[in-house]
Amino acid sequence: MSAMEVKTGKYSYYVEAKSQQIADRPRKFLEAFAAILDRSNYGLALEAYARLGSKCSRCASSCQLYMTTGDERDIPCRRSNLLLEVYRRYFTAAGQWRARLTGGFVLTDEYLDLMAEEYYRCTACRRCKMLCPLGIDHGLITHLARWLLAEVGIIPKALLVAVREQLEGVGNTSAIPVPALKDTCEFLEEEFRDIYGVDVKFPIDVEGAEYIFFPAVSDYLLEPDTLMGNAAVMHVTGGSWTIGTGNYDGINYGLFYSDRMMERIVYKMVAEARRLRAQKILVGECGHATRSAWFVPTFCGREGPQVVNFMQYTARALREGRIPLKGKVIEERVTYHDPCNIARSGRITEEPREILRAICTDFVEMFPNRTENLCCGGGGGTVSIDEIRAFRTGLMGKKKAEQIRATGAKIVVAPCANCKKQLREVCEDNGLADVQVVGLHDLLLKAIDFGVEKPAGENGS
Amino acid sequence: METLLEWARGPIFRGALAFLILGLIRHAVLTCFEIARAVHRAGDKNIPYWALAKATLQWLFPVRKIKDRLLYSITTVSFHAAILITPIFLAGHIILVERSVGIRWWAIPNHLADLLTVIAIVTAIALVIERATARDTRALSRFGDYAIPLLVALPFASGFLVMHPAINPFPYTATLLTHVMSANLLFILIPLTKLSHCVLLPTTQVISEVAWHWPPRAGSEVAVLLGKENERI
Ligand code: SF4
Ligand code: SF4
Repeated sequence: MSAMEVKTGKYSYYVEAKSQQIADRPRKFLEAFAAILDRSNYGLALEAYARLGSKCSRCASSCQLYMTTGDERDIPCRRSNLLLEVYRRYFTAAGQWRARLTGGFVLTDEYLDLMAEEYYRCTACRRCKMLCPLGIDHGLITHLARWLLAEVGIIPKALLVAVREQLEGVGNTSAIPVPALKDTCEFLEEEFRDIYGVDVKFPIDVEGAEYIFFPAVSDYLLEPDTLMGNAAVMHVTGGSWTIGTGNYDGINYGLFYSDRMMERIVYKMVAEARRLRAQKILVGECGHATRSAWFVPTFCGREGPQVVNFMQYTARALREGRIPLKGKVIEERVTYHDPCNIARSGRITEEPREILRAICTDFVEMFPNRTENLCCGGGGGTVSIDEIRAFRTGLMGKKKAEQIRATGAKIVVAPCANCKKQLREVCEDNGLADVQVVGLHDLLLKAIDFGVEKPAGENGS
Repeated sequence: METLLEWARGPIFRGALAFLILGLIRHAVLTCFEIARAVHRAGDKNIPYWALAKATLQWLFPVRKIKDRLLYSITTVSFHAAILITPIFLAGHIILVERSVGIRWWAIPNHLADLLTVIAIVTAIALVIERATARDTRALSRFGDYAIPLLVALPFASGFLVMHPAINPFPYTATLLTHVMSANLLFILIPLTKLSHCVLLPTTQVISEVAWHWPPRAGSEVAVLLGKENERI
C-alpha cells in the first residue's frame, strides 16, 4: 500500500493518493447514503431535522469556532444543512418531485469537496445541540457526513493510517509492538521502585481479572505519569486488573469518520476482554475512547462487558476511603477541562472534581463547564491532523485559551489523550506557555500515600 | 362576495381543518412509530427517557433558556404564547364551535384577546426584522423563513379588524373573507412546512438520542450492502 499523500489544495488536510482515483463519487455517495439509511437509525433524525430546522441561529452563538471567526460558513445549522439538502433532494418524496419538476439541486463532485472541508471544521463536540430549541444534533450530522465522505475516499490521512495500523497492522494506533509494551510496563514498575519504593505491578495477560485496561495507547509513549497514576490506584485499592497483549489500545478513530470502522474496533476490544475472561472494560483517561466503548451495548447487546472509565473507578474508591492520601499536596492553582465526549451527555462530570478537591488546595472552575464546556478545539479527531494546527489552535481553540487564561491556573487537568495534546498546543500558540496540561491521575499519583497499604488480595470492585 | 364567504367558512374551512388535524395526527403517529421501530432495532435499548423528558419540557416552557439572546427569546416566546392562546380561547371562536358541534370551553376576555392579537402581530413583524438584521440568521434564511411569520400574522391582523369595525378601513365582508381564508391557508401549510413543529417538538429530543442507538452490526451490514466487506482499509 502506498503511503503517498497528496495535498490537493482542495482540502486543508492530507488525504491518500489512492482516494483521489475514485471515480463517480456522487453516485457512490448516494449509494452509501441509501445503505446507511437502511441499516442505521440516522434516518429518524434526518427526517425530523430536514422538516423542522427553524434556522433561528441560536446554535451559532454556542459554537467556539463561530464565536471566533464570526464566519457564516461556521454556523452549525448552515453546515448541517449541507447534508440535509442532499437528504431532502434524494431521499424525500417532496424533494424527488421537486427535482422532477424544476431540476434544482444536483449532488456534484464540487459539492462533495465543499462538504469534505466543512465537516472537518466541526469537532462534533455537540455543544450547539444544547442551545437548539429543536434539539438538532449537529454533532450527529457531522459524524454521519464524515462516514458518508469516507465511503467515497475522503478521509484525513492521519485518521486513516491510525485505523489501518490498528485493524490490519501492528494492532494499535501507535504501532507499539508487544515487546515494546512489555518493556514500557517493566520500566514503569522500576520507576515505582526507584521513586516511591513500592512494588506496583502492570499485570499482563492475567486471565479472569475483573478489569481489562484500555488506555489511549499513545499514553505508553507520551503519558507515563498518567499510567503510573492508574497503576498506583489499582495497587492501593487491590484492584484486579490486566493489560491484554492481544489488544491494549482504547483509541477508536472510527468514531471520527466511519461507523463501520468503529464497530470493528469495538469488537476487537470486546474480543480481547473475552479472550482473557475479564468482566469489565476499564478505559484509561481518554474521552473519545470512553464514548466509543460506551457503544459496546450497541454492538454487543446486553451480553457485552460493562464499561468503566478510570475516573469512575477512582472516585468510587476514594469515596469508599480506599485510596490513602497524603492530603491536599497540590498547592498551585488547578483547573479542569471537561472532555466533550464524556461530559456533554452529563455522564462524567463530578467524579474528576471529587478527586481534584481531595488533592488540591486551589481548585478553580473554568466557565462554562460540565455539560456546557467548550471543546478543546481538537475534538472529532482533528487533533491528530497536524497540518491544520493553525486552524485548531488559532480559531477552534482560541476561546478555550481565553477560558484557561481567565482562571489564572497554571495547571490544567484534562483526562483525555486528545484534549491533552490539543490543549498543550493551544497554550503554546496562545501565549500560555507557562501553563502545564496534565492528566488527572498524574496529579493523584503525587498525593497517594503508599505507606499505608491495604492487605494484598482484597478485591477493589 | 357573500357566497364566497359562505364557501370559505363552510366547506373550505372544514376541509382545511380536517387536513390540519389528519396531517398532524399522521405526523405524530408516524414519528412515534419510527421512534419505536428505531428503539426496537437498537442494540442498546437503554434510553435516558427521564433526562430527555426534562430537556423537552425545558424547551416547551423555555423559562430558563430565555437569558441567552434575550431580545430574540422574548420575541419568540411572546409570539408563540399569543398565537396559541388567542385563537383557541377567543369568545367569538368558541361561540362558532358551540353552534356547530355543541361543545364550549372557557374564553378569555375580549380586551385580553385584543392585547394578545396585537402582540402576535408585532412580534411576528419583529421576528422578520430580527431575522433580516442579524447577520447569522440572515445567512441561514430563505424566502419561506420570512414569509411564514408574516403569513401567521395575517389572520390575526384581519381578525383584529373584524373585531373592530370602527377602525377598519376595508369592507367588512372582504376583511372577514381574508381572515377566514388566511386561516384556512395556514391550516393547510402547518402539516406541510416547518410549522409542523407544533406537534413534533416534543419528539425531537428523543429523536436526537435514539438516532445514536444503532442496530448491532449496522456497520458491517452497510459494508455488505456496498460490497466492501473484504476491502482493505
Ligand atoms: S438552534 Fe436549531 S433551529 Fe436554530 S438555527 Fe441552530 S439548528 Fe437551526
Ligand atoms: S464544533 Fe461543536 S459547537 Fe461547533 S458546530 Fe461542531 S458540534 Fe456544534
